[in-house]
Amino acid sequence: MAASAPLARGGEAASPPPRGPGSALQRWFRNGSFIRWIGLGGALIPTLMLGFILVVLVVKAWPAILINGWGFFTKSAWHTGAQYGTSVHSHGITYLSGQSYGAVPQIVGTLETSAIALIIAVPVSIGAALVVVERLPKRLASVIGMFLELLAGIPSVVIGLWGVLTFGPFIANYIAPALSHIPIPFFQGDVGHGEGLLVSGLVLAVMVIPIIASTARDLIRQVPILPREGAVALGMSDAETARKVTLPWVGSGLVGAVVLGLGRALGETIAVAMVCGVALGQVATNLYAAMITIAANIVQNLDTVITDQLGVRTYAELALVLLVITLVTNVVARLMVRRVSGTALPVGRGL
Amino acid sequence: MSIQADPADPRSGQVPPATALQADAAGFGGTPSANGASSLSVVDLTLSFGPRAILSNLQLKVAEGRVTALLGPTGSGKTTLLRTFNRMNDKVTGYRHQGDVLLDGRSIWHSGIELMSLRRKVGMLFQRPNPFPMSIMDNVVAGVKAAKMAPRNQLRDIAERRLRDVGLFDAVSGRLKDSPFRLSGGQQQLLCLARALAVDPDVLLLDEPTSSLDPMATEAIEELVRTLVPKITVVIVTHNLAQARRVSDSTVFLNKGRLVEHGDTKQLFENPAEEETARYVSGRFG
Repeated sequence: MAASAPLARGGEAASPPPRGPGSALQRWFRNGSFIRWIGLGGALIPTLMLGFILVVLVVKAWPAILINGWGFFTKSAWHTGAQYGTSVHSHGITYLSGQSYGAVPQIVGTLETSAIALIIAVPVSIGAALVVVERLPKRLASVIGMFLELLAGIPSVVIGLWGVLTFGPFIANYIAPALSHIPIPFFQGDVGHGEGLLVSGLVLAVMVIPIIASTARDLIRQVPILPREGAVALGMSDAETARKVTLPWVGSGLVGAVVLGLGRALGETIAVAMVCGVALGQVATNLYAAMITIAANIVQNLDTVITDQLGVRTYAELALVLLVITLVTNVVARLMVRRVSGTALPVGRGL
Repeated sequence: MSIQADPADPRSGQVPPATALQADAAGFGGTPSANGASSLSVVDLTLSFGPRAILSNLQLKVAEGRVTALLGPTGSGKTTLLRTFNRMNDKVTGYRHQGDVLLDGRSIWHSGIELMSLRRKVGMLFQRPNPFPMSIMDNVVAGVKAAKMAPRNQLRDIAERRLRDVGLFDAVSGRLKDSPFRLSGGQQQLLCLARALAVDPDVLLLDEPTSSLDPMATEAIEELVRTLVPKITVVIVTHNLAQARRVSDSTVFLNKGRLVEHGDTKQLFENPAEEETARYVSGRFG
């Protein structure tokens, strides 16, 4: 660098170095400005990206939001219009008459599959994490931990394929018939062939368990030994110690882990698209019925509407709805944490 | 091996293992003293982690309803011994015990003893305060609730009484629902003491309870410990010679896994029988 030559000579003369561009750069590094700018950039980029995605989706979806109106959230029918019908032009786009979109089944399907996934995955994951940290010998625990992480890394298309070929038929043949005896209307009826709501939820659970379990394991490992020993010394059982001390100690982190899993469940696409049965236009009438989620609908049908001006904008609107659902569940979960552990968060002392 | 007998009880130090078996056969319940405090006897006890023996062939009778200090340099096995009394070491990898510990004449390892109720009977206070992540009030009654020792509507009264017992109530009365982690270290340790006392223990084990506290808080804890006797038998592990002198009635000096001397605190400090003890209590080693 040319600018460093005079700087070096200045240094040799044992006089204060001249304030050339080189020294300014050095100062910029030394006094921490560089790190601060990197940090600021790192903090801003995710926020900007989220804002950018939101804005793009709103702009793209805007005509569809106006044309579909509130019906999008109250109707179930998904009509792609009459191919040879008349064209309509409004809100700056041209589309076929008879096009009408209601997203209720997909929104309900998304929430239902995620709920099933979490109902199964949360207790299993936290139980597994507790056992791995507190019960198993170290070597076995690390092997099981490795498998958990491997499970998290299996491509979703592989899990989807397994769901279609093996898991779905197994559920339909052995589990669903037993469940259908439960005297709850939603559990009764035709158990289907292994593609539908229950199998989708269970496949999602399989995908969510490693995420929640490995995060929960790392959290539980951080709980200091002293409060746990205090509980044991007070005559509390292992289960009570876990419920009253260990889990609340990392409560907010656990909710974070569950939200992470929920995000995956809400947005998981290809595996669900393979096992959901692809039933547009109707909310599942029982636990085994074919259905579809927002993400599965987008991946299954986006290519058919790519030249359809209203269709493609409707899918942008669907994507926006999915994004908003994910954001809202995140915020609600974080508010819940604050309510649950607000008075008893370990803050600084006695740890 | 030199084992000093407790001057207060000529039998201590010479209880043959057979007594343990007889006591076992006598059935659960033992014979706690009239005032409710329990006696602890250590019979030919050897504790080890893996191949390494921490304590060897220990004989000791802890006087009931009094404060006994366990003194000794680091690694002398005093904390291991203390944690054996409520079986906190049972799950530690490699921990083994030979010999016996009798609580009111009955082995703490007897199959008829329920571990949870043993731990309620033999309470413990730790080196550093360890409040649970729940409100101050819930902390005090955590053990009471877990053992269902009182109906729900009495919990508040119990919490208040125990907090008064340790002199913490006035400081926290307006914030019983708040986090205990905002209290000072000393207050947190008092809270933990209130929590340990809430389940009505017969024996209280203190593992260097003031090692993380300032002098004022230390004094408060020490004064409280003196008020616990004679209702509760107290065993305190401490590195602090002055503290042992202040709070204990009798003192046990352990060194290198052996019991060197056991006697009346005043006598042990002022006129120790063993040269090793004399060197330790005068600060010449350890």
